[in-house]
Amino acid sequence: MVFPLGKTRSDCSGFDQLTRLAKSLELVSFDKVDIDMSGCTWFDANMAAPLGALLYRASHQLNNVRILGASHRLENILRKNEFLLNYGRLPLTDSNVTTIPYRRFEPTDGRYFVSYISKYLQGRGMPKMSAGLHKKFLESVYEMFNNAVIHSGTTLGIYSCGQYYPNVHRLDFSIGDLGMGIRESLRRKKQLELAADEAIRWAFTGTNTTRTGPIPGGLGLKLLADFTTKNGGRIQIVSDRGYWELEEGSVRSSLFDLPFPGTVVNIELNTADTKSYRLSSESNLGDIF
Amino acid sequence: MSEKVVIRPYEVVGSPLCVASEDGERVYALVRTALKEGRKVDLSFENVSILTSAFLNSAVGQLYREFSEKAIRDSLSVTDMSQEDADLLKRVVETAKSYFKDPDWLRRAHQEVLGEDDEQ
Repeated sequence: MVFPLGKTRSDCSGFDQLTRLAKSLELVSFDKVDIDMSGCTWFDANMAAPLGALLYRASHQLNNVRILGASHRLENILRKNEFLLNYGRLPLTDSNVTTIPYRRFEPTDGRYFVSYISKYLQGRGMPKMSAGLHKKFLESVYEMFNNAVIHSGTTLGIYSCGQYYPNVHRLDFSIGDLGMGIRESLRRKKQLELAADEAIRWAFTGTNTTRTGPIPGGLGLKLLADFTTKNGGRIQIVSDRGYWELEEGSVRSSLFDLPFPGTVVNIELNTADTKSYRLSSESNLGDIF
Repeated sequence: MSEKVVIRPYEVVGSPLCVASEDGERVYALVRTALKEGRKVDLSFENVSILTSAFLNSAVGQLYREFSEKAIRDSLSVTDMSQEDADLLKRVVETAKSYFKDPDWLRRAHQEVLGEDDEQ
């Protein structure tokens, strides 16, 4: 099969296109899968994470996956972030050092993920963030990774990729998984039947969590939302047919026609932010418990 | 009176990055054993640079499943923690208390959300 992949930004239409790719690949095995990027005039590099997840699944179904027709410029971007190394290209040095390369992790690779983020965020082309912002960003991406580990039940891995855009002071970082998705998690663990966009909204509300076992939870996404709002950044979540976006305190959500087979979280960080990142309360160490 | 047991997440995890739930489990196992032995525990976060709610839920939050608030307050102390990490831990502790106090609170919280929807 041939899938023409057009302009792919971290937005609703970019993810919508990936849901269509997911559907096309769903039942294909022992076949040729050609991703035709000849009509792709822009590809947000962090979107390599969800695209990589879908193509990994296609390879896992024993298809021969090829990426064809990408412009020279696009090839360079996707070689610099090492995405195309999975499809027969050679690496290209990221001389600007603005890339957090594409990687696939097993759920048990928590420590490897930690070293990966620490290593690439310190690149000389990466933003010189305030200490508070740097710490909050690290906490946020670890929370995202933990969410995928704890909630997705993925057996095909967790995918990540990031790109810094120095001219606009923005760092985009995406984590995707091929797990059950938030809607299905809610259905299985809380017996709640919600539409996919409502399910994402539920996960961000109050103290909600799909945790039912001995370890409490439910803070990761709320902390992420609090932080992003204060930072002036953006979060996007795609899970099943749901699309949910928080930007400047405003939420936008919608339903795709087709599902994404897992969950993707994209965080866009405003790297020029110099605010302090204390939570609103000021807890006394003697009065924690 | 027996001396406080000092448990250092930095040493238990082997890193200043206390982020993974499984690493929190390792800390929890030590704290739990000490508390069950009736010992007082000082959780020293010296040299820890990054903490997540997932780590703290495992390391500390789940103590509320087994021990009363009073037992934890009387026996567990925290030192060498930055103000912002203390704020995060406080939030984790409040969430854990609610989680274990009322097994049905999540469903009710959801119903509240649906109620809000109806008004829109």
